[in-house]
Amino acid sequence: MPRNAGFLFCLAVTAALMALILLPLLAVVLGSCVNVSLLGLSSDLWSGNRHELLDFSAFGYILEHYGDWAFFSLELALACVVICLLAAVPAGYAVVRHPFPGSGVLEELVLLPLSLPGITLSIALLSTYGELRGPLLVLAGHLLYTIPFMFKVVTATLRSFDVARLEDAARSLGASLFQRLFLVVLPNLRHAMTIGSLLVFAVSWGEFNVSFLLNRGRPQTFPAVLYDTYTNQSIQISSAATTIFLAIVIPALIAVQWLGDRETADLEQGA
Amino acid sequence: MPIRDSSCALPANRVGERRTVAPLLLCLPLLLLLLALLLRPLAHLLHQSLLLTDAPTAGITLHNYLEIAAVPRYRRALLWSLELSLAVAAGSTAICLAPAWLFTRYRFPGKRLMRGILTLPMTFSGMIVGFLMVIMLGRAGFVPQFLESLTGRPLLSGVGYQFPGLVLAYLYFEIPRATLTLESALAKLDSRLEQAARSLGAGHWQRFRLVVLPTIWPALLSTFAVTFSVSLGSFGVLLVLSIRRFTLLPLEIFTQYLAPPSDHGIAAAMSLTLLTIAFATGYGLRRLAGRGEIRHA
Repeated sequence: MPRNAGFLFCLAVTAALMALILLPLLAVVLGSCVNVSLLGLSSDLWSGNRHELLDFSAFGYILEHYGDWAFFSLELALACVVICLLAAVPAGYAVVRHPFPGSGVLEELVLLPLSLPGITLSIALLSTYGELRGPLLVLAGHLLYTIPFMFKVVTATLRSFDVARLEDAARSLGASLFQRLFLVVLPNLRHAMTIGSLLVFAVSWGEFNVSFLLNRGRPQTFPAVLYDTYTNQSIQISSAATTIFLAIVIPALIAVQWLGDRETADLEQGA
Repeated sequence: MPIRDSSCALPANRVGERRTVAPLLLCLPLLLLLLALLLRPLAHLLHQSLLLTDAPTAGITLHNYLEIAAVPRYRRALLWSLELSLAVAAGSTAICLAPAWLFTRYRFPGKRLMRGILTLPMTFSGMIVGFLMVIMLGRAGFVPQFLESLTGRPLLSGVGYQFPGLVLAYLYFEIPRATLTLESALAKLDSRLEQAARSLGAGHWQRFRLVVLPTIWPALLSTFAVTFSVSLGSFGVLLVLSIRRFTLLPLEIFTQYLAPPSDHGIAAAMSLTLLTIAFATGYGLRRLAGRGEIRHA
């Protein structure tokens, strides 16, 4: 391990940032099931069983009252993954390997939502398709913000040299475009498509800014559950809902980290 | 490259045909989605922002945009949005330089884990971060209670509801974005320049100020642009904290739609104002960064 001053300074700042990120998450998980008054903290805000150290009743409450919301959110995230794969993978391939007039513009356009405020696109969708307000419009909002992630991962991989060279070899052997696509390109894109799917899933699962206004009635997305508990419920129930949220999003993000360092480093994240 | 040249061996007309029609077919689903979900709604929004909600037949007018500047509440929301986003973008760009530098320049055990932790808040909505602030720095938050048990006084109580607390909350979800953007830019840097400077006798600070800083400023600009536009559009933190004397432009838009009666013309104009600022900043800074990169290449 290097021991110069620059390294130690950067390490100290990074450690502080890690603490800034992790401590609140720890507090939330703690608050969802531990009776904090037994830890010497005031329990004004923390309801629940005052005699037991551990109390998981808040989780039961969430599952009972918001179970179908969580299920709706999961379905929505999976629908996003499927549509992103169908729309972004072929287009990413075409743009990288067979550029045509206007393909550069298309590429900019796909990534555009990431640098636009979510609320603007939300209002735009709402004012155009107001009568469709409901699950379908929520899906539309989610797609705007998830497609760029799939597209970026796929194009970044296709721009790496190996796939291009393999495909050129197949072409020199007489393989047609669609033969090359299904027999050479797609098998080599499996890794990128897995990472892209996990990112799309995580982004859709956490998305609130774009989609909250686009829905009507019940069930809502899971971030809407969080909003509901934050405004109407006790800290313990809010913490339990947040813990459930984290329990689904963190494994997805860990998997993304494990599968690819290079691909994710090139992503400039949107809201 | 001989392998690539071999494609010329195919009959020219076949190649030409496939190069235009087939790629377009592959892009068709995406193209249709973007037309229906992005371009048409944005055009519609622009049209709506130029009409009066009370009198849609009165014709095109800039009244809604002028209203943003004229009504004190909206003007304040816009200024606060700009102020907060500037502070957060500058702060997160400067602070995240440390982890980005650490991850690109040094090898050490546990690097992957640390990187993973810093990218965790990537998909957290601002609303969640707002709740984390309530838990940690609210009036009965963990930190004030912990400090009270140490010192006897509830220090830092309610900081989460003040401007520094807001900046801290925004910093929370900007850390992954700033770190990843800086990291990918720093990875392209040539570390031989620093070695040369070191061999010429430059100290740590001198190397940083005279060699590193001038080479990485395009990276700093583009990171500033990313974090600025993300902060500008975020309102979830304030939605949960609901500080009465403080508002932000995206929150004004959100509440216009959440609680009818709402003025859709004003909301459309505010949305497009937000979009224009975010887009212009991003585009302008990236162009500036691009020019810098060429100069230092």
